Amino acid sequence: MKNRVRVSYTGMSSYRTHMQIIGDILLTTRDDTPDEQGASITYLIRKANISHGRISKILNNLVAQGLLEQSNSSGAFKYKISSVGREFLQAYNTFNKFADGYGLTI
Amino acid sequence: MELFLENILNLVGFVVGIIIGTISYIGFRNTGSPTLFRLTLAFYSIGIGFFIMWAGQTLDIFVYKTGHTERWVQTFGIAVQTVGYFFIAFSHTIKSFFPKSNYLRSIGIMPLFLISFISIENIIRSISFILLAYGAIETLLSYFASRRKTAILVACGLWALAIGEFLGWYYFVFPQSILNVVSIATKIAGLIMLFIPVTKVPLTKIKFDENI
Repeated sequence: MKNRVRVSYTGMSSYRTHMQIIGDILLTTRDDTPDEQGASITYLIRKANISHGRISKILNNLVAQGLLEQSNSSGAFKYKISSVGREFLQAYNTFNKFADGYGLTI
Repeated sequence: MELFLENILNLVGFVVGIIIGTISYIGFRNTGSPTLFRLTLAFYSIGIGFFIMWAGQTLDIFVYKTGHTERWVQTFGIAVQTVGYFFIAFSHTIKSFFPKSNYLRSIGIMPLFLISFISIENIIRSISFILLAYGAIETLLSYFASRRKTAILVACGLWALAIGEFLGWYYFVFPQSILNVVSIATKIAGLIMLFIPVTKVPLTKIKFDENI
């Protein structure tokens, strides 16, 4: 998977909104999991490029909303995208392009 | 004839505004994005503003038959549209609206006193113009960042709306001219350009989920 940190035309990495971070996490769990059981927190931290404290809150929220499925694999939590998460990600991608068309970021 | 043409154009504005607002609302319900919520408010306001003006004109054509719309209806419709333009500008964050210097601030509020005797409609139109011009410039800057072609069309659309507002304001100077019709036609052209990103949304692939 390509590095998901957005790079602006100035060459500096730009600020990502909460929605974009969620989109990046869901995209990683859909397209870029290291194995069948899903992605670990450490793996997601590296891919989504955010702190442990922040990603823990987001992951708990996504699991509670049913967008991610959490499993316990040899003492560590792993995360996989659910069918609801796939639908959400599809809607996110569609409306991200829609908002981008208006020069906005969702 | 002019009133009838205005009537049709206002109806088109209403339909376009409501369609874009509805697409934005579907996006908001599916993603919970605050940006899409602001776009929903913006385009619903623009659509409702056009509807108010259309309703006022329709009542005049078929009921009152005075040949001109009530001024307060026109002003109210434009005010509602301005709320919509505010939300478009607000989505880009109005980060440099007020100058930091105290001197510039004092100069900045002077026109408010100078124009206090001009009608409310003039003031609303000038606010709309500023908000639209701001939105257009920000959208153009976004185009340079993303290179998405629809962004430049939206920027042109916002400029067209701004020019439409300016011509509508200028109509007060030359009330017997066709400026009002040109103004509304320009605004409709602008709204159609704003509609282009909507055509890129594959709505058939979106499953509306109440639980999200």
